[in-house]
Amino acid sequence: MERLEEVPLEVLRQRESKWLDMLNNWDKWMAKKHKKIRLRCQKGIPPSLRGRAWQYLSGGKVKLQQNPGKFDELDMSPGDPKWLDVIERDLHRQFPFHEMFVSRGGHGQQDLFRVLKAYTLYRPEEGYCQAQAPIAAVLLMHMPAEQAFWCLVQICEKYLPGYYSEKLEAIQLDGEILFSLLQKVSPVAHKHLSRQKIDPLLYMTEWFMCAFSRTLPWSSVLRVWDMFFCEGVKIIFRVGLVLLKHALGSPEKVKACQGQYETIERLRSLSPKIMQEAFLVQEGQLGGTCVTSFYT
Amino acid sequence: MAKAYDHLFKLLLIGDSGVGKTCLIIRFAEDNFNNTYISTIGIDFKIRTVDIEGKKIKLQVWDTAGQERFKTITTAYYRGAMGIILVYDITDEKSFENIQNWMKSIKENASAGVERLLLGNKCDMEAKRKVQKEQADKAFSSLARDILLKSGGRRSGNGNKPPSTDLKTCDKKNTNKCSLG
Repeated sequence: MERLEEVPLEVLRQRESKWLDMLNNWDKWMAKKHKKIRLRCQKGIPPSLRGRAWQYLSGGKVKLQQNPGKFDELDMSPGDPKWLDVIERDLHRQFPFHEMFVSRGGHGQQDLFRVLKAYTLYRPEEGYCQAQAPIAAVLLMHMPAEQAFWCLVQICEKYLPGYYSEKLEAIQLDGEILFSLLQKVSPVAHKHLSRQKIDPLLYMTEWFMCAFSRTLPWSSVLRVWDMFFCEGVKIIFRVGLVLLKHALGSPEKVKACQGQYETIERLRSLSPKIMQEAFLVQEGQLGGTCVTSFYT
Repeated sequence: MAKAYDHLFKLLLIGDSGVGKTCLIIRFAEDNFNNTYISTIGIDFKIRTVDIEGKKIKLQVWDTAGQERFKTITTAYYRGAMGIILVYDITDEKSFENIQNWMKSIKENASAGVERLLLGNKCDMEAKRKVQKEQADKAFSSLARDILLKSGGRRSGNGNKPPSTDLKTCDKKNTNKCSLG
């Protein structure tokens, strides 16, 4: 595990009290000072309040309030064996080295099962998609099962709609969009990937469907998720573009990737420098304009 | 630049979720066995170069997510494959029954005449075996004769066979055991 980029203790305490104030007056802040919330999410949510903040930002908290007892009801229902079988195969294959998920049948894996099963009952026509498991696992590291469930609902329906659905159409479309944005952000990388006929789905499927939770160092995952919950899918695009640009964005880098395999390898084992949280946040903002203009 | 190999073969691993495709590919490409894996989301590939009768054969092995809905992404890679390895778990009958469906996917998406190999994984769990070798032989010898039923079926000449002997070595090393057929 890499070390978190240090935030001085005093700064951290200050941020905590600012976040507490925001969370206690959430509606007012959302209505009047959304820009400020965004800025504070960019700086990173204090770890002690992250789980709560994610619930507020995603609207998972409101969903839970609107549907009291719903999760318990789903939790008590048996579930379709077709989905249970696939879910069970995946329980021990999410963050297998994380303390919470390390033991078979342990609390983490049990909760993961409950959350994923509840979703298949909540949206039977959608069922379960394997990429939902890492998402739910990250949520469970920050909140109890019921809260995690409603955040998952929000991610599947509001943040990344269609990503996990039967035909996986949305992820294929976003692959194309990412690639066309890359042309503007880094023509060199774009040309290289075109020439080698590398389908975006080959490198971006896991990045996007798991919201980088399996790709980046942990402190970066959290920073990216802080911004993602505030600003939505464009953050995922920005991070994807930063990674592509800095992995393949210069003639020398491209030259080192003679074939498809070398290119894919380069994208699978990215240089730690370009995955650092500060780098991603800074570069993402600089290169963010084209993504923002695309989405608004 | 001189070519580092004489032939390039593209192979594809398919089969139900959790049968051990990723484990096999890592065992094969990196000679490494590990009990801890994460589920495959999407598609991935690994390379290994082997020497067969003095020729350098570069094998590009594609790994795929097993869940049904990922087929919309993975079937695009069937066509370029020269060999497809159908993997099931010998301790899981369902994964064996589903081989029929995977065969159908091959028929619909792969090039005609693509080489196919049936592989029963997890032979180190003999006590939990649910699919007998004879069962596999029987079910598929009538269905598809060109499926390689016997191990060690390395063919001389074009080398256009999946790396059965290499897979078989897994058995000897007592790690990622697999039976052919």
